[in-house]
Amino acid sequence: MAWFMGIDIGSGTSKGVITKDGKLEVYHILASGVNYRMASLKLREELLAKAGLGVEDIERTVTTGHGAGVILFSNRHVADMQCCARGIKCIFPSVRMVIDVQGQSSQVIRVDEKGHVTGFAVSEACASGSGCFIEVIANVLQVKLEDIGPLSLRAKNPVTFTTGCAVFGESEAISRVAEGIPKEDILAGVHKALAGKISTLIDRIGLKKPCAISGGGGLNVGLIKRVEELGVELLIPPQPQIVDALGAALIAGEQDF
Amino acid sequence: MTKVVILNRNDEICASVIKHTGAEHRRLANKVMEEALEQAGLSFDEISYVIATGYGRITVPFADRQITELTCHARGVCHYVPSVRLAIDVGGQDAKGLKMNCGKLLDFVMSDKCAAGTGRFLELIAASLDLKLDDLGKLSLKSTSKASISSTCTVFARQEVVTRISEGVPLEDILAGIHDAIATRVARMVERLKIEPDVVFTGGVAKNIGVVKSLETKLGCKVMVPEEPLLSGAIGAALLGKEITLKALAQGKPVQRGRRSLSESTFFQ
Repeated sequence: MAWFMGIDIGSGTSKGVITKDGKLEVYHILASGVNYRMASLKLREELLAKAGLGVEDIERTVTTGHGAGVILFSNRHVADMQCCARGIKCIFPSVRMVIDVQGQSSQVIRVDEKGHVTGFAVSEACASGSGCFIEVIANVLQVKLEDIGPLSLRAKNPVTFTTGCAVFGESEAISRVAEGIPKEDILAGVHKALAGKISTLIDRIGLKKPCAISGGGGLNVGLIKRVEELGVELLIPPQPQIVDALGAALIAGEQDF
Repeated sequence: MTKVVILNRNDEICASVIKHTGAEHRRLANKVMEEALEQAGLSFDEISYVIATGYGRITVPFADRQITELTCHARGVCHYVPSVRLAIDVGGQDAKGLKMNCGKLLDFVMSDKCAAGTGRFLELIAASLDLKLDDLGKLSLKSTSKASISSTCTVFARQEVVTRISEGVPLEDILAGIHDAIATRVARMVERLKIEPDVVFTGGVAKNIGVVKSLETKLGCKVMVPEEPLLSGAIGAALLGKEITLKALAQGKPVQRGRRSLSESTFFQ
């Protein structure tokens, strides 16, 4: 029996997975905070406790994500895109494309039958292309993160954001609130704006079906609806956030590591 | 910010008011006007001509005319520095570069799509560091090694600032990094205009000595800042108002005025 670990330190949350014989054994998610190294250590501790294992039981660890550079117990650092492709392939064997909506960027990745990346498009280094945009707007509307998606589904007239910038979008949202526009219409508007950005990323490399969603964005029913409205049917993993970490653990367990 | 300037016939400032525009005060340009009139000891009827400019110029119902901020800024900056060739204005919403010669506007660049490179960037950073906007500049000058802020995006830069703090980077070094980031962005924007001295810097961000110094390094020349960099647009508007009035009088025509009701704007209702 062989256990492998995958650690994905994101800008907002850190995700960890332990696989056993190529299958998901346990996973854990926690807030990254400002100290990524601390987050990685805590994550490993929690994972090992959940699996009832010791550090020595883990054959190899692969790390990925925004803050992976600072992790001390990594055997190899692998790009998040590769991890995502491998992870989604394991969950949906037929998948050919995955949209990874993270806290600091969105990526559209084309995946071959072996789970390798064959093409990709990444959003600009701008909050409006990432899940962060939604968080920023939800924050000014004082809506809890988990309520964003369901609330946005109740929108009757989604607003149109005239700006492509999350900061200016924040002011725009405040103006809309002052005009008496319901929160759900504003939220639906920001989801539409992000879905639009994702759609242009898809257009850049061409849509491949079946297409899945991963990352924190995969938890948001509002975003999923707006992306699907643009003609992209989505497969949704049971735990979209851990796809990259799962992929990392699977890569750690590969024969030719 | 909403600014009012009242000039007398000798182009001297009789009154100047600078107030937060805010969501509510967008309708209340009349209040700011009243304050300026009081300061100058004048009644509204004594004002020969009123020009409104800026993003909210249509929300000033008592103006005789609306003129774009580019024209007004150009005029205002020239008043301070007649030899100006490049006027840079960085406000809370946008950043502009105006290429000028002998008071004429030849070309301009503008960046209003994104908060990076505008005053909003500094406002947000100041708020997240719990510092006053006015203190950023002086504090940053104490820096001995500026922190690197790699994100262009304001939202990500704010997260980066938090990370730097947790790493124990001194505040002044972080601020120096922030000022360097905004100056880099502004310098890149005006590059297309082929930078030539004299360079004049206005807008709220010009009050930040840290950004001014960074910008001087990036542009490789002296950057002049007027005494009250926030007022150049309003002063330009007032000067243009005077020109319009004088022209009409010289031609013996009546001065075309607006409806002149010193009341709240009803535009948003």
